[in-house]
Amino acid sequence: MIPSWILDIFAAIMLVVAAVSAGRLVAARSWQRGTGRAALADIDVAHLLMAIAMAGMLAASLQTLPNGAWSVIFAVMTAWFGYRVVRDSRVTGIRALAGGHCAPHLVHAGAMLYMFMAFMAPAAHGSGGMSGMGAGMSGMGTLQLPTLALLFALALVGYSIWDLDQLSGPGASGHYSLAAARVAPPGPVLAGVGATAAAAGPGAAGVSPAASATVATEPLAEPVARPAEIALVPPASGPANGTGLLAPWVATGCRIAMGITMAFMLVIMI
Amino acid sequence: MSEIAAAGVRPGRSRLGAAAETARGAPDARRLLQLTLAGIWLLDGVLQYQAFMFSKGFSQMLAGTASGNPGIVASPINWNATLIEHHDVLLNSIFATIQVLLAIGIAWRPTVRVALAASIAWALGVWWFGEGLGMVLTGSASPVNGAPGAVIIYALLAVLLWPADHPGRPAPFTAARAVGAPVARALWLVLWLSLVYFALLPGNRAPQALNGMIAGMESGEPGWLAALDRGAASLVAHQGLAASIVLAIALVIIAAGVFLPPPAAKATLILAIVLAAVIWMFGEAFGAIMAGGATDVNSGPLLALLALTYWPVRAPGRAAPAYEGTTAS
Repeated sequence: MIPSWILDIFAAIMLVVAAVSAGRLVAARSWQRGTGRAALADIDVAHLLMAIAMAGMLAASLQTLPNGAWSVIFAVMTAWFGYRVVRDSRVTGIRALAGGHCAPHLVHAGAMLYMFMAFMAPAAHGSGGMSGMGAGMSGMGTLQLPTLALLFALALVGYSIWDLDQLSGPGASGHYSLAAARVAPPGPVLAGVGATAAAAGPGAAGVSPAASATVATEPLAEPVARPAEIALVPPASGPANGTGLLAPWVATGCRIAMGITMAFMLVIMI
Repeated sequence: MSEIAAAGVRPGRSRLGAAAETARGAPDARRLLQLTLAGIWLLDGVLQYQAFMFSKGFSQMLAGTASGNPGIVASPINWNATLIEHHDVLLNSIFATIQVLLAIGIAWRPTVRVALAASIAWALGVWWFGEGLGMVLTGSASPVNGAPGAVIIYALLAVLLWPADHPGRPAPFTAARAVGAPVARALWLVLWLSLVYFALLPGNRAPQALNGMIAGMESGEPGWLAALDRGAASLVAHQGLAASIVLAIALVIIAAGVFLPPPAAKATLILAIVLAAVIWMFGEAFGAIMAGGATDVNSGPLLALLALTYWPVRAPGRAAPAYEGTTAS
């Protein structure tokens, strides 16, 4: 049996994610009303709900809703992100799956739905109900269709690794930007370039130190964003390129934490 | 907001455009392969958190790899297994966390060198203490069940995907970028010829050897996979010698492939990937992940990933600058 303190650590991480996501929603509503923030609010809502649900699955004492209610919530969430991926794919094609930021959330929501639908509690703990999932995880509940669990785990691992890579270097689009946490330029920006140049050191990527500084802080005279960015990144004056809690990398960090935790949960319940 | 921006000074488009386009370049082949390796490490780390790993079964599994090994190899394995038996929760938690951190380190560009170096040390340790040197000294190793030990291929991949460029001629394939083409080809040759040797060991060419190996993977697997394994096992029933010879021929072709011109090399690399997939599906049951108790994905995906690192590249590999975290150091 997995030691409960390990599950508790993962549950605590999820509570932090939930708190951060709630904070982002509150902060955006308070300070950035009417600036396009609503376009990405669904991401924070999804993070908040998933983190609460996962915390409850990991620690029975943190359960909030019955499994059936969570199933309905994640079915709706899956449908919503499915719709958004389809909508994005009309603009960006297959890149909506590989590089868009709705596809990972579709996988996350789908995995959550699958876990609630396919969970089989161990006989000793009964089945379903408020205590089914949390008690089942510590008591080694299993999932039906384990092949699907493996596929979800692989996808989650893949997205988490990709997010880590994108977060730590160039090639970043708005929702990966570390630089955006430091500056909030008035026009569309090539977010992420500055962070990478800073991390990579002077002269990296063929960018001179002067140019690096400029790229890190300057709005582009003419934005060169790819179609995906045009479609997905809200206006740079909006809080998606905000500071502190509203920085895009915070949301991506939450997504990485949830992706790894979700993969962990799927694997231990196979 | 920056002072420049606040002052409304706009840089020329050409300068910014060039910098932006350079910095925004797509991941190159080596970085993608590194990320795949990171993903496999992450999956391994997650697998290490399974309930089985916190039980006595894990230490018993490790102790089992001492069997058949020379005393000098077996003694440290037994010592390690005993240690884990007494501190299973603590040590397994550390093992799992290390693997997750290796994955994160490889995926996080500024730490890719440190993580790859650490992964080599970790892999070598696990190869000895966790896999009994892949059982290569016991006479029971087989390419079909993971010889020469999946974890040693992690180390090999870390070396070949090291984020540096060997001086001299442009690399003809990704694996040659760090160590040079001759060394990379030699490593490939040693690995695949060793698999030829293992395929032809007496224990593996016995009439029912392959059948027993595949049939033994059924336990605990989902119905569809168990059925596939049963079918494959029946196909090779009493065909151990013939199957070993066919496998050995395929492995020899693959071993020689990287010395051939690009079109032929690609054909042999495709053969390697197909063979790795067949081994992973039928011989390793996808690493037995769905049966529970798997510590890693086994050798199939790693052999395929290795083959991809030898895929001929048209342009010089060194031309992709500053993507891989190499510039962070």
